[in-house]
Amino acid sequence: MTDFRIYFAGRDDIPGEFTLGRDEKLDLLLVALPGVSCSIALHITLEGEGAEVNLGGIYLCPGNERLDISVTMEHKVGGCISSQDFKGIVGGTAQVGFYGRIVVAHDAQKTEAYQADHNILLTDTAKVTTRPQLEIYADDVKCSHGATVGKLDEDAQFYMRSRGIPEAEARFLQMVSFLAPVLAMVPDETRRAELSEQLETAVRSVL
Amino acid sequence: MANDIILKISGLHAGIEGKEILRGIDLEIRKGEIHAFMGPNGAGKSTLSSVLAGKPQYTVTSGSIEYMGRDLLAMSPEERSVAGIFMSFQYPVEIPGVTITNFMKSAVNAHRRAKGQEELKAGDFLKLMKEKMAFVQMKSEFSKREVNVGFSGGEKKRNEIFQMAMLDPVLSILDETDSGLDVDALRIVANGVNALHTPEKASIIITHYQRLLEYIVPDIVHVLKEGRIVKTGGRELVNLIEENGYDGL
Repeated sequence: MTDFRIYFAGRDDIPGEFTLGRDEKLDLLLVALPGVSCSIALHITLEGEGAEVNLGGIYLCPGNERLDISVTMEHKVGGCISSQDFKGIVGGTAQVGFYGRIVVAHDAQKTEAYQADHNILLTDTAKVTTRPQLEIYADDVKCSHGATVGKLDEDAQFYMRSRGIPEAEARFLQMVSFLAPVLAMVPDETRRAELSEQLETAVRSVL
Repeated sequence: MANDIILKISGLHAGIEGKEILRGIDLEIRKGEIHAFMGPNGAGKSTLSSVLAGKPQYTVTSGSIEYMGRDLLAMSPEERSVAGIFMSFQYPVEIPGVTITNFMKSAVNAHRRAKGQEELKAGDFLKLMKEKMAFVQMKSEFSKREVNVGFSGGEKKRNEIFQMAMLDPVLSILDETDSGLDVDALRIVANGVNALHTPEKASIIITHYQRLLEYIVPDIVHVLKEGRIVKTGGRELVNLIEENGYDGL
């Protein structure tokens, strides 16, 4: 059974350290709703073979938030999988920093480590700094990282508007759709629906 | 009769990123008419459809477009849609995370709100979806799929015609709807378009080839070249182009 935990930044006490032993599985979701400014530092250590961690993150910073997220994903032994998927919508004069470090130890062969941090920037005055860092000391690994900071897709916006969907609704749909893959990691359907509604309300407030 | 006119384009010059592509288009489309626009690549066919649908990247530098007596160029893309204009995209856009159902619910209800009607009840909406999906031979799981994500070329175009059936437009613009379609998909698409056509509506079919025009028979054919209409005729023009090419005109 995979252990699933969700933490709301600014509300919950987020533990700084997670350690996974042999065959342990953990799904972790971090959520930062509008109005939350804080620093989050996570250190996740995979020290038993077959351990697996999925780390998801959603941050909505449409105002003047200051949010810093730093993650160290440490693969101490081989045969473990880690994946990170962060999605942010940043506007106003908010400033967001994402620092994602993946460390793969010398003999942690057959490691799989993935990291993604994608951002939609709503204003020119908002700022996102995303800095992935890979330190890989083993040679037989699969690792990838990707980071983007972009605007809402104009073609998708036009496509929806050409079907009569008002501009604000088209923006809303696209933002919700952008967050959807991370939301999908919530295993319980009722809980997922609750969170989805919470995020939709938050997204509407940024339009 | 003047009130028969759905679309009137006068002296239209338009382009993108400072480059002029349409160099003086004049056109009248009346109720019941199907107009075909043919022409080589780069003639301005897709620019014309983009300008009609209101794609923001395109700029009209001079001229006017009247749609049912209204100034079309002053209308936003969504206003054009609820006023009855529909463009079937040459390259339908993928929208991950948004299901066909949610997408169409937003669109249909936006149309209804604009007309002062109440939003459709969930049951009535699903019934409408089912009926229109059958119309383009889409299976029921189609409604749960994300808009255009992982669709084949044929599915994308059938999805366009499905949306057209849902929104029931007055003026439909089919931009290269035949590109990338096999014969079966082409037939489904063409049958759909023909079934939706009434004497109160009009269509613009934009195509590079005559293939689609074997299934959807146009009343008037225009040949577009270097941003101008260089020839206008009846459906016999299609065969002439097929035999002699665009240079032979």
